[in-house]
Amino acid sequence: MKNRFLKKALGMVLAGAMTMALIPAMPAAAAGEITIGVTSFADTLEPTTQYFSWVVSRYAIGECLTKFDQNGEIVPCLAESWENSEDGLTWTFTIREGVKFSNGDDMTPELVMASIQRVCDKSDRVPEFFDLESMEIDGQKLIFHLNRANANMAGSLADPLFLIVDTNVDDSNWEMEGPICTGPYAVESFSPTDSCVVVKNEYYWDGEVPLDRVTLKCVDDQTTRSMALQTGEIDIAYNLKTENLIEFEGNPNYEIQELQSLRSTYAFMNQNGALGDLALRQALLRGLDKQTYCDVLLEGGATAGKAPVPPTLDFGFDELNDENAYDPEGAKAILAEAGYVDNDGDGFVETPDGDALTLNFVIYTSRAELGVYAQAAQSNLKDIGINVNLETVSYETLLDKRDSGQYDLLIWNVLVANTGDPENYLRENWYSTSANNTAGYNNPEVDALLDELAATFDEDARRDLIIQIQQHIMDDAATVFFGYETTYLFNNTRVTGVNMYPMDYYWLTKDIKLAE
Amino acid sequence: MKKKLKFFGEHKQFTLFLILALAVVCVAIFAPWIAPKDPLEAVMLDSLKAPCAEYPCGTDKLGRDILSRVIFGTRTSMVMTLVLVAVIFVLGTTLGVLAGYFGGIVDEIIMRVADMMISFPGLVLAIAIAGMLGPNLTNAVIAISAVSWTKYARLSRSMVLKVKKSLYIEAAVVNGTKTGKILVRHVLPNMVTQMVVTAAADIGTMMLELASLSFLGFGATAPTPEWGLMLNEGRTYMAKAPWLMIYPGIAIVIVVIVFNMLGDSIRDVLDPRQE
Repeated sequence: MKNRFLKKALGMVLAGAMTMALIPAMPAAAAGEITIGVTSFADTLEPTTQYFSWVVSRYAIGECLTKFDQNGEIVPCLAESWENSEDGLTWTFTIREGVKFSNGDDMTPELVMASIQRVCDKSDRVPEFFDLESMEIDGQKLIFHLNRANANMAGSLADPLFLIVDTNVDDSNWEMEGPICTGPYAVESFSPTDSCVVVKNEYYWDGEVPLDRVTLKCVDDQTTRSMALQTGEIDIAYNLKTENLIEFEGNPNYEIQELQSLRSTYAFMNQNGALGDLALRQALLRGLDKQTYCDVLLEGGATAGKAPVPPTLDFGFDELNDENAYDPEGAKAILAEAGYVDNDGDGFVETPDGDALTLNFVIYTSRAELGVYAQAAQSNLKDIGINVNLETVSYETLLDKRDSGQYDLLIWNVLVANTGDPENYLRENWYSTSANNTAGYNNPEVDALLDELAATFDEDARRDLIIQIQQHIMDDAATVFFGYETTYLFNNTRVTGVNMYPMDYYWLTKDIKLAE
Repeated sequence: MKKKLKFFGEHKQFTLFLILALAVVCVAIFAPWIAPKDPLEAVMLDSLKAPCAEYPCGTDKLGRDILSRVIFGTRTSMVMTLVLVAVIFVLGTTLGVLAGYFGGIVDEIIMRVADMMISFPGLVLAIAIAGMLGPNLTNAVIAISAVSWTKYARLSRSMVLKVKKSLYIEAAVVNGTKTGKILVRHVLPNMVTQMVVTAAADIGTMMLELASLSFLGFGATAPTPEWGLMLNEGRTYMAKAPWLMIYPGIAIVIVVIVFNMLGDSIRDVLDPRQE
């Protein structure tokens, strides 16, 4: 008996000792090297697959013809200047001279054209950005001829999807070895779930690259990421939240930046399933107390949502009329009127046909606030009698579920002005034939307005159209708009030059260096 | 009656932990009466309240009462653990007895499958199975059963092999007793004590494994009050609201210790080799 006690006690002490031993074992980073804690959704580094090009851009590997500055304005990058014809059907970009790829090859207009063509061939997301008829080269100029007028071609080409790659090299290993691009860093090694190591690009066109090697370590768990920053394992931590402020505030060894972001968190409602019924969607929306989620549960880490475009962009947030604002009694009335009644006394309503109703709400793990929204929604909807089942999956699985339509509700967190204004975002998610619109939303008026928007250059007219489109989407109770988050960026003072961009395509930049 | 009292007097450790274990079971059974609040009722305005008069153990992110959730968590954990132990006990013992008694091809098949299962790290394989089946408590029980039955199969097989050679079995066979009857009447009673001891000692471990799966997101799903899941939910707010992790953690520690010690005491009481 005693012996067994002793053994158990010894085992516990040993286990404790081993855990402790792990903590101080963090290697001190060598000179010219930093580690950044990131969340990553990229299975591969092939830029034309899904949204993986975002990661290529965030890791400072790839660049586009244009880019967004810290104010969200479009500025030149690999293109020095551009102009468009009056009808918006012809866009001419002057390609910068003297740019080399990270393998030393010159970036010629021909290679830029081949690179854009490669995206058009491989990605199904291009039609929502622009409808390309042909491209031609005139000296250093690349000319785009479009079938559909596009007022925002320069912004569209700043989306990481269109980052410029060297098409002269064999691309069969790009998935794991990374593409050859023009960014300040080039891929040394990549492991989807662990880390991506990038090294200085000797041929970089825009000045000397300050760091020799940067490790972008995937730490998907928010708590672990925060702890890694505290132990010095990482120097910069992306995607931390209000909960983490308490850990770093007032500590002179850390810098905290905050930005009212352009990210919107919403949930698609799959109209091919039970949520095809407008009454159920309206009731569901009215059952959600989004104001409390954002102010209390997220402690002001987000602004409560109602419309596709957040109030940080001036697209009429305050003028939009939300007829499905929080109103639990109204929600119950709508349910009862539409025939959703609880017949078997389990506290949850059945469909008008008498079948049990359970809505499957798919969320993913790497953003902690999504779980808060989803659980709060589950709790609120329970109060009005709608049964919600939460399914927590990895981001990759979530994408599969979205593409195959296996959901009733599916959380989505996205940048609303990925091309500088919301046009692409609205078209991608709510245009009836868009590849991303797997929820089956189809409103011919919205489609017509989106087509009109694409050809409209006048700023006021565009704003007006975008407001109309938003009002339609809201009136159709198409989507649950939970909130618009505030983003934080934490870094220790070992590094400087860390900046937040409203379009979060740029994490590692050439400006990030070691403090003197 | 007196004899019984004497038994308890002689085995003080057993008596103590039996009482504690019964207390835990009572908490599980009478959870709705003991818990001060509804464990699922979210008062969102009371989000992350520190322990106070109204909420003795504080509230979680959604403003649910931690004390009530811990109490209801006993229910989830106890029921699932007992089901789990029962499943592996019955499944493992049956397969082990069949393998041991019949030998030959039956033995080969069952034991090679068992070998296959134990050639993987248990919890890792359980995570893989739970991951494939999808996260919920039933699947977690299935996953852990799939990796844990082998222990019982091997143990019972070895004991059957020992019993099989004894004279009274041969006598029964010669008498023409049916195989089923031999197994039930002559083989099982000779090994059931040892198996029960093993099962009792396993309750604590199994409870921990279930909680681990829930903690990793492969077991209980929100909003079920389950300790492992509560720990996971509390992790994000560790610095700000430590009570989210402390109370479910204490509950796990106490219950697991009680059942481990009870298992140990049962072994002391029943296992003749200790004398």
